[in-house]
This record gives sequence, C-alpha cells and structure tokens, in this order.
Amino acid sequence: MSKRIVIEPVTRIEGHAKISIFLDDSGQVSNAEFHVVEFRGFEKFCEGRPYSEMPGITQRICGICPVSHMLASAKAGDAIMAVDIPAAADKLRRLINLGQLVQSHALSFFHLSAPDFLLGWDTPPAQRNVFGLIASHTDLARAGIRLRQFGQEIIQELGGKKIHPAWAVPGGVRSALTKEGTQKIGAWLSEAYDTTFLALDLFKQVLTSHQREVQLYGNFPSLFMGLVTPDGGWEHHGGKLRFTDSSGSIISDQIDPEDYLNVIGEKVQNSSYLKSPYYQPLGPQDGLYRVGPLARLNVCSHIGTPQADEELKLFKALGRGSVTSSFLYHYARLIEILASLEAIERYVGDDELLGEDLCADAGINSLRGVGASEAPRGTLFHDYAVDRNGLLTKVNLIVATGQNNLAMNRTVAQIARHFARGPEITEPMLNRIEHGIRCYDPCLSCSTHAAGRMALDVRMIAPDGAVLDRVVRD
Amino acid sequence: MSSPPPTVTKLLVIGYGNTVRQDDQAGPLVAERIEALALPGVIALACPQLSPEHAEAVAQARAVVFVDAQAGTASKVCLQRVLPGDSTHVTTHAADPRTVLALARDIYGHVPPTWLLTIPAERFGFGTDLSPLTQHAVEVAVERLLEMAQAAPA
Repeated sequence: MSKRIVIEPVTRIEGHAKISIFLDDSGQVSNAEFHVVEFRGFEKFCEGRPYSEMPGITQRICGICPVSHMLASAKAGDAIMAVDIPAAADKLRRLINLGQLVQSHALSFFHLSAPDFLLGWDTPPAQRNVFGLIASHTDLARAGIRLRQFGQEIIQELGGKKIHPAWAVPGGVRSALTKEGTQKIGAWLSEAYDTTFLALDLFKQVLTSHQREVQLYGNFPSLFMGLVTPDGGWEHHGGKLRFTDSSGSIISDQIDPEDYLNVIGEKVQNSSYLKSPYYQPLGPQDGLYRVGPLARLNVCSHIGTPQADEELKLFKALGRGSVTSSFLYHYARLIEILASLEAIERYVGDDELLGEDLCADAGINSLRGVGASEAPRGTLFHDYAVDRNGLLTKVNLIVATGQNNLAMNRTVAQIARHFARGPEITEPMLNRIEHGIRCYDPCLSCSTHAAGRMALDVRMIAPDGAVLDRVVRD
Repeated sequence: MSSPPPTVTKLLVIGYGNTVRQDDQAGPLVAERIEALALPGVIALACPQLSPEHAEAVAQARAVVFVDAQAGTASKVCLQRVLPGDSTHVTTHAADPRTVLALARDIYGHVPPTWLLTIPAERFGFGTDLSPLTQHAVEVAVERLLEMAQAAPA
C-alpha cells in the first residue's frame, strides 16, 4: 500500500478539519466523514453567568458569525423575559441580519467559490483563489469585495465599530439607525443591485457549462429545514420551523423553535466530538436534513419581494419538488442577497428605525428561553436554562454547520466516488472535494470555537483502518 | 487597480484574537491599550480576526503592525517583517496578514511596510484570564509599539 504524508504545520488550534474517505474491500469509496476536532467547553464556560451577558459573550464564539450569535442569544433572552420586543427593535434586528446575509454570502461567492468555477478546478491552488480572480476578472472581483463591504457597513451603522458591548440585548436593541446611516445605505443600494445581477447572470452561464457538477456535487435526496413566515414565506429571523422532503412535500410545519428538541435529535460520531443533528421522527439514517440558503429556498413558497421571487421561480424549476444539488447553494446565496437588498431598501425608507422605543424591560418570567435565527449558513439555536436570579444553569447551541455535517459527509463521498482512481488522493479529487465543502460555506470556527487557522487533513482509509494516503492542505 | 489612497495614518495597529480564549486575547488587548493612549497619527483596531475589509485601512497607512498571540516555544515578544502573499484558506472567511496585504496591493494599489508582532501564549482554554507569561509579554508589546509610534515620521 502507498503512503504519502505531507508535513503539517504546528498550529495552536486543537486539530484540523479532517476528511476521512473509507474504501470497501473492492477498493471503492464506501463512505466519507468530514469533521472538525471540536473544542468542547464553551457551553460549560457560560454556566453561572447572567443570561443578559450572553449576546456579548456568544459573539466571541466566532469572529465570522458574531451577528448571528448575538441575535439568537438576544432572542433566547427575550423568551426568558417573556417579552414582545418593540416593533422598531425587531425591524432593526432584521436589518442587521440582512446585512450579515449580504456580507457573508458575498464573500462565499466571490472570494471562496467563484475562483473554482471561473478559473477551473485543476488550476493550481496558488492561482485558484481571489487573487487569481482579481487578475483575470478584475471588475468582478472588486465589485464582489464592495458588495461584502456594503453588508459590513450596515452592521457597523447599527452595531458600531467596537466589538463589545453587544448591540442586540434581551428585550430589544441598544441604538437606532441614524439619518446619516440611512442615507449611506440608501446611496449604496444601486451598486449592490448591479453587482448582484452581474453575479446572477454569470452563475446562469456557469450552470450551462457545469451540469456535471450540478449532478455530482452533493446531489442526493434529503430533508430540508428552515424558518418560514406564517404563510410559508422566506424568513430569516422570526417565524417557525418547517421541514420538507426532496419531493417538496411539507413533513413538519410551523414548529415553534422552542420545541426543536421534539424534532431534532443528535447522532454521536465515534471519530470526533461532533454530534450530527437529524430529523428525529425518521431516525439518524433517514433523517438527514440540510439547512442554509438551499434549504431556505426549498422550504419557502415565496420570498415576498418581486425580483427575488422571479429568481425563486427559476431556481425551483431546477428541481423536481426540491432542488437537491448542493452545487446550487451558490445560486441560492445570490437569490438571498437579492432578497436581502430588496428588504433593506424597504427598511431604509422606514422612519420607525430612527425611533427611541427600542427595548422592553422585564424580569425572569421563564426559566428557559430558546432563540432561533437564520444565520447565513443555516438555522442557529441558542437554548438557555436559568435559575430565578437569571444565572445560566445550562446552555445548548446548535450551529448550522453541525446540522449540515451528515450532508457534507455524503457530498464528500459522492465526489470521491466519482473521482477516486485507486487509493491515492489525487489533486483533481482533492480540488473537487474542497469545492464540495465550499458549497455549504461551513463555519468551522463556530463548530470549534476555534482560535487560529484551520487546515484540511484528508485521509484515504482501507477497510482494516490503515491509512492508505494522506494529504494536508494548509 | 484603483489609484493608491491617501496615506493618512502614521501607524496602524491591528490586534486580533478571541477574547474568551485566555491568552488568545493578547492581540486585541494590546490594540485596546494603544487606542486608549490616543497617540497622534496612530490608529489601533481590536478585532476577533482579520478579514478582507482590513485591506482598505492597511492601504491608507504608512506603516502597519499586526499583533497576535503565538503558541509554541517562543518566550519573548517577536517582531518580524511581513510581505504580501496568498494564504487563502479552503473554507474560512478569515484572512491572515499576508492575504490582507495582498488585497491592499491588488485592490488599493498600496502596501506599507508591515510587521507582525507575536506575543508568546500558552493557555487557550475558555476564560478571560491571562497566563503570567502573556501578561508580561503584553506590557513588553505595548512598550515596543510606543517606540515604533514615536520613531515613525509624522
């Protein structure tokens, strides 16, 4: 058997993002696992702290998704107080979440994924990146960076430039939008729209020439989960949970996020600390579900803004019932950017966001609170139990990346099966596996509460457990 | 490429790290200490991690120092030059100093002289306390940056 091991650099994090590809007795790929070495203890670290501090603390789980954690945490606090927050506060929270969706999706598409399908899978990694894109598609790359900046600008207008204290708090938010902020955001919208339509046109061309990727990159039946409005529309911050299957049928609907444990179980993976959520009524084998942009567009019947709804129709036409190819997460992200821009445009004309009635006040009225919000990568749950003094006795966080873990495993296995040529990990296979993971835009920091870098460690494993080949990409 | 922006900042300090991971907070801590001094022409940013947006601020500075905690065998504060280069990750939205510099070069047309100031660190559990090693190193790092700020031309 061959062995090829690349020296990995010493890092200060607990491990790497690992991919294990398992071969059966005939040398075919039987299964794959993608997982990170989770650093346990964050939930324990929070016990004994006041729930009111959690929006500030949980922002620090991850430098990439602080807004998402802040919002879910504030909502859990709202539930402990048993308050309905002021209408202006709800709108402001929604606005910051829309900014988060725009900036995160823009970076995923333009920086991380577009280089692959615009420069070619087999372009060396040294060129197949945002710098290669800047060199070959300068205007597009620059426009993409500006689009991300637009989302960040919204976050900074609301949340401020400092990393603490938290802007969203239990009961509401700390500050309103200013008139200057409204004007700044409004002035930038036209450019943001132009970039988004440019990207949509580009991706439709990509679809024409990448049908193989549509078929092979995570294309399999699964369930889908996301928040929806009372009438089944696209929802990013409130609403209730909905599950659909790959035929597009609704199998569970309007579930209060507080009752998520009735529908979501967690499967322990022997090889890591990571637990993989599944739809409980169907068990871990058949209960695999996906979250995030692909899922949100699958579970909703409409978005509620005109241009995004037109794109949604085109998107849904790509599937029979549900759109099942994970390659189409990229398309879903662009549609969500468009939906977000249309929603942002409505908010900047709304004077209620400039108001002063921003926070409800109450004591401890429930000893448990669950907050759910749609992070860019999928549904995020913060579940807090407190004592009568409001000190946390238990914390449970379910992040989007963990919920997509089983789907990522299957995606890696599918790609490896098609591109494996024996026990050696080839560059073409590795490039495509990387992209299969990028389709989900996983936040490994959220999964690990990591500090520092995250390399990719890929292993090909024989039926007897022997490592046949190993490559580390840092 | 855009025209280089006006370089309005004498010295830009960017300290990054996770502030609930014990010694990993050293970078933001140093940045906050420098910011509190309100030195003329000096801007200090504390952040959880580097991202592409930092490229614009870098391009507008005449000199830049990134500050970060560093695990390993080093027991002293270490200052080393950083050059632009691609270190883009597979899956993360975070950047690193070389990538930020490369973006400053390719998007904004300017890369100032840049250094990475690493602070020795040994504890990365959950908590807000610092190890004695890092606590001492933070003081040394602040002094080092003060010297750089005073030496930098106005």
